[in-house]
Amino acid sequence: MISLESVSKKYNRKSVALEDVSLFIEPGEMVSIVGQSGSGKTTLVKLLIAEERASSGRVKIGDWDITRVSRRDVPLLRRQIGVIFQDFKLLAKKTVYENVAFALQVAGESPFRIREVVPEVIEIVGLQDKMSRYPHQLSGGEQQRVVIARSLVHRPKIIVADEPTGNLDAINTQEIIDILSKINDFGTTILLVTHNKDVVNHLRKRVITIHGGQIVSDQQSGKYRL
Amino acid sequence: MVVRLFLISSQENIDFSMLSFFRVIKFAIQDFFRNFSLSFMTILTLVLMLLSVNALIAFRVVGQHAIEMVEDQINISIYFSHTASDEHISEIVGFVQSFPEVEQTTFKTPDQVLEEFRTQHAANHEILASLDELGENPLGATLIVKTNNPEDYENIITAIDIPEYQDIIDAQTFGDTQAAIENIRNITERVERVSLSLAIMFGLIAFIIIFNTIRVAIYTQREEISIKKLVGATDWFVKGPYIVQSIFFTVISIAVTSYLVMFIWSRFDPYWGLIWHQADFLTNYYNSNILFLLSSQTAAVLVLTIFSATLAMRRYLRT
Ligand SMILES: Nc1ncnc2c1ncn2[C@@H]1O[C@H](COP(=O)(O)OP(=O)(O)OP(=O)(O)O)[C@@H](O)[C@H]1O
Ligand SMILES: [Mg+2]
Repeated sequence: MISLESVSKKYNRKSVALEDVSLFIEPGEMVSIVGQSGSGKTTLVKLLIAEERASSGRVKIGDWDITRVSRRDVPLLRRQIGVIFQDFKLLAKKTVYENVAFALQVAGESPFRIREVVPEVIEIVGLQDKMSRYPHQLSGGEQQRVVIARSLVHRPKIIVADEPTGNLDAINTQEIIDILSKINDFGTTILLVTHNKDVVNHLRKRVITIHGGQIVSDQQSGKYRL
Repeated sequence: MVVRLFLISSQENIDFSMLSFFRVIKFAIQDFFRNFSLSFMTILTLVLMLLSVNALIAFRVVGQHAIEMVEDQINISIYFSHTASDEHISEIVGFVQSFPEVEQTTFKTPDQVLEEFRTQHAANHEILASLDELGENPLGATLIVKTNNPEDYENIITAIDIPEYQDIIDAQTFGDTQAAIENIRNITERVERVSLSLAIMFGLIAFIIIFNTIRVAIYTQREEISIKKLVGATDWFVKGPYIVQSIFFTVISIAVTSYLVMFIWSRFDPYWGLIWHQADFLTNYYNSNILFLLSSQTAAVLVLTIFSATLAMRRYLRT
């Protein structure tokens, strides 16, 4: 599903974020990526959604070569991958419903289909009672659930989450991880970048550890070891 | 299901769909009202700019009219000697009239000149008494000449200032007129220069203010722009609402300004009426040039707002 072949990313001469990284993720896997601050985790995520370009090597999603994707196809790529960030990234001037609907509207979906899909995904994250609220009227955990709902509208085969629980307390963290696990159970590939030791140990799924821009360990059913 | 979504997506990315067009307009309206204070400030700035431009236009129109009025009152009078023969007089009259610069001539016979002289000095009994004593009319005929431009007077004056005419023409109001012409010319040039530099200055200031207002507005929304890109919006889907909002800003500010201008100018009109005995001077000017005034201002503001929006967004749309 996702494959990196000797990928390096240099932001500039001094800053090498990733160095000769190769990895392969099977469809339906749930993989945690751990590593110290500055080790290159976010850079990896940015390469996958074409927010940054690899300096060398090749990034592929399915048989789509992301390193070669044209500017015009970037919106297309982003509609195929659900992205979740630590700082939520919701549109402040749109309600929960509108935020989720927006991801479909940009893809030219019909109003009929939007009315069908949006309540569906909002229900998956359990926010059906708060659809007409604005983001600032929601708790952090609820905001992150809206983001998850939004990432689901295109039924993506891949969800990439960069420290989705970084701003949340233990209870909200568990809720978000549970929702992601449930989505993974339905067959969606999930890439989870996290700092949270408990989350990783509790998941008992594959763990990739990055250090200084290189993969230092890759374990099936691993533990957080730093 | 996923396959179907893939197909729809790729098609939308390539061609322009009506549905997306309506969505862009809907988002523009939503953004306009949900960021109301920002919209309000932008429109206010535009209105202030347009008001100063219109004030400048009024200033020019009034100034030019004033100059025309003064110019209109200038003429040269050619005083013929009372001994000059009718043939000579009509020869000179014909000669003066043959100038293409001459707009109008008025000929006064000696009797008419005397009549005017008498009414002018009706209060001065001494002059009238000495006139009566003379018994005959000491005054010759007069030709009053008006030209299209004040500059042309000099030509005519030099043309008739030749030895052959010296016995026929007693005098001409040469000195006074030339001074007046010089004055008018100076005033005209100065007014033109001042109003032109004012126009350039105002235009520049207005441009910078509007450009900055829109840039700041978009800068505060760069987060929104990046989020929209993140969930897969195409450039024009992000840009569209801003462009449509620029059109709203333009139309609203033009409408508000023309209402205000009409109101303010109608308040000023009575004063021009007093000076020039011409009612509704500015209102009339505005009404007869309304198409040009509105379309040129709309076009200018539209170019300005869309240009600023596009320029401001360019750097946020890259990733
Ligand atoms: N735009 C950039 N320009 C230059 N250097 C950058 C840029 N973005 C990241 N870096 C550098 O690349 C390295 C990896 O950054 P990255 O954001 O991928 O780390 P991270 O693993 O996500 O860290 P954290 O856990 O703190 O989020 C860091 O040394 C960082 O300073
Ligand atoms: Mg990071």
